[in-house]
Amino acid sequence: MDATGGKRGEQQTADEEHACCKVVEGKLALPYQYFAGRVGSRFIISLRDGKRILGVRCDACGRVFVPPRQTCERCFSDLSEKWVELSDTGEIVNFTVVRYEDRHLPRKPPFVLALIRLRGADTPMAHIVEGVAPENVRIGMNVRAVFADKTTNCILDIDHFEPV
Amino acid sequence: MAEFFGATVEDVFKTQDARFRAEDAKGVDAVVAYDITGEGGGRWRVTVRDSRAVTEKVTGSDFGAFTTKITTDAETFIGVTVGKIDGTAAFTSGRVKIEGDMKIVALLPRLFTKYSPPSRGVSARDIIATFPERFRPEAAKGLDAAIGYNLAGEGGGQWTAVVKDGRLEMREGLAENLTVNQTVGARDYVDLMLGKLDPMVAIGAGRLRITGDMEVAKVLPKLFRKYEPKEVERGPELIVLKKTISVGMRFSTGPVMGRFLEGLKGRKIFANVCPSCGRRQLPPREVCAVCRCRAGEFVEVGPEGVLVNVEICYYASPDPLTGETRETPYGTSNILLDGCRGTETFWHYIKREDLFDVKRGSRVRPVWAESRTGSVHDIKYFEMVR
Repeated sequence: MDATGGKRGEQQTADEEHACCKVVEGKLALPYQYFAGRVGSRFIISLRDGKRILGVRCDACGRVFVPPRQTCERCFSDLSEKWVELSDTGEIVNFTVVRYEDRHLPRKPPFVLALIRLRGADTPMAHIVEGVAPENVRIGMNVRAVFADKTTNCILDIDHFEPV
Repeated sequence: MAEFFGATVEDVFKTQDARFRAEDAKGVDAVVAYDITGEGGGRWRVTVRDSRAVTEKVTGSDFGAFTTKITTDAETFIGVTVGKIDGTAAFTSGRVKIEGDMKIVALLPRLFTKYSPPSRGVSARDIIATFPERFRPEAAKGLDAAIGYNLAGEGGGQWTAVVKDGRLEMREGLAENLTVNQTVGARDYVDLMLGKLDPMVAIGAGRLRITGDMEVAKVLPKLFRKYEPKEVERGPELIVLKKTISVGMRFSTGPVMGRFLEGLKGRKIFANVCPSCGRRQLPPREVCAVCRCRAGEFVEVGPEGVLVNVEICYYASPDPLTGETRETPYGTSNILLDGCRGTETFWHYIKREDLFDVKRGSRVRPVWAESRTGSVHDIKYFEMVR
């Protein structure tokens, strides 16, 4: 015992140090609620129930937004009732190949995540491209939406896009 | 009387005694005085004694003797009661004032089921009435059980579903020998049936209580086809997704923290000492945080100590080691273990039962887990030495 009541220990040897190293498993679980909003809800519902892709058009600047949004990012017009229907085909304007695996990802790697501008739209949307090897994907490639058999009430009601 | 959030203060107190849960009030002896100010306010006194609750309106200005007095305005009172205003936030912002014994306030949600404003849609009674048509005899094969539904509040009541030989018989009231009993507010029951309230959340919050044979309780959802409301709510469908982000993590302890955890396995608490300034670090770290030199020597401290600071948490937050949301209130504290000085404190949980009794300077000791694995949970919590 030392003067303050604690028992004196010893310096650790390298082997003892090694034996003491541990790994502690942890988990962070964060429950949350996502609200798609009025405009977002209608977009998803028309994918789900009608297999139709809706966007909104800004009358003031003429741009067509897909996915739809409530307010035009340029002129702040209210777009919530300015619905237009888009084609289910479009072109790849950019893409990346996802090569790591994590459970939040929608597919096993490698898979192609592309920005696709639908015919008639001014903004691209991100989605999965299948039916083509990652090394053969090109910017400018024409693709068509393939709808999911089973709904998940989210953007994955379009299952993926595939080359036309 | 002024109405807030679809209810008046009078509505809440009128149903107070009916919402009382005697089984949770054993040993509770308290008088809670409510001074509800402003428009729609008034004064009430709720006495809980001998497993009974009596609610009275106070007409004069004198409440008489009380254990706890709660002062707030009518809107805040109803908002907190129906869950539209956060109680803790209302308290910390001064909109709710509490005099006397705080312990009773923490107990109140367990003593009384939650008040639900009168339902405008389907009632619990309506849903109970659909039991016979939703019953699935094929799922009840070989089951012989009496299942109680104790649904308090507007639109509620008490029923027993008697299931035998693949048949269902509904009876009013709760049978003597229930196999399973479910106690829940009528409005919460409706929300559970409509999928608006998660059963695990309801159980965790003490709003749904299931007692009796848990094996039978588990098969209950299979006995009935899902309840489908006949009237579809008006207005466009809106999409709300309930999700959980779950991230797996691994912490590497290194040799110093590892030695500390190894010590806990053998019911020993180790600090390490800075060779330069003599500080003890708890839990031990590789380097002295002040002198920035290697701190190698281990000394055993405690296991008893003195509380330096106590914090009571009312907001549930996920435990980073398990991902589970902790039950509130829980208490954490800084403990100066025997052999440590000054700010060389150790952080851990305080035993729930001691939460409102401990003070700065209280002497505490660790309660060790039965099976210890070299984890910080090898100490369950610290308890008061009485």
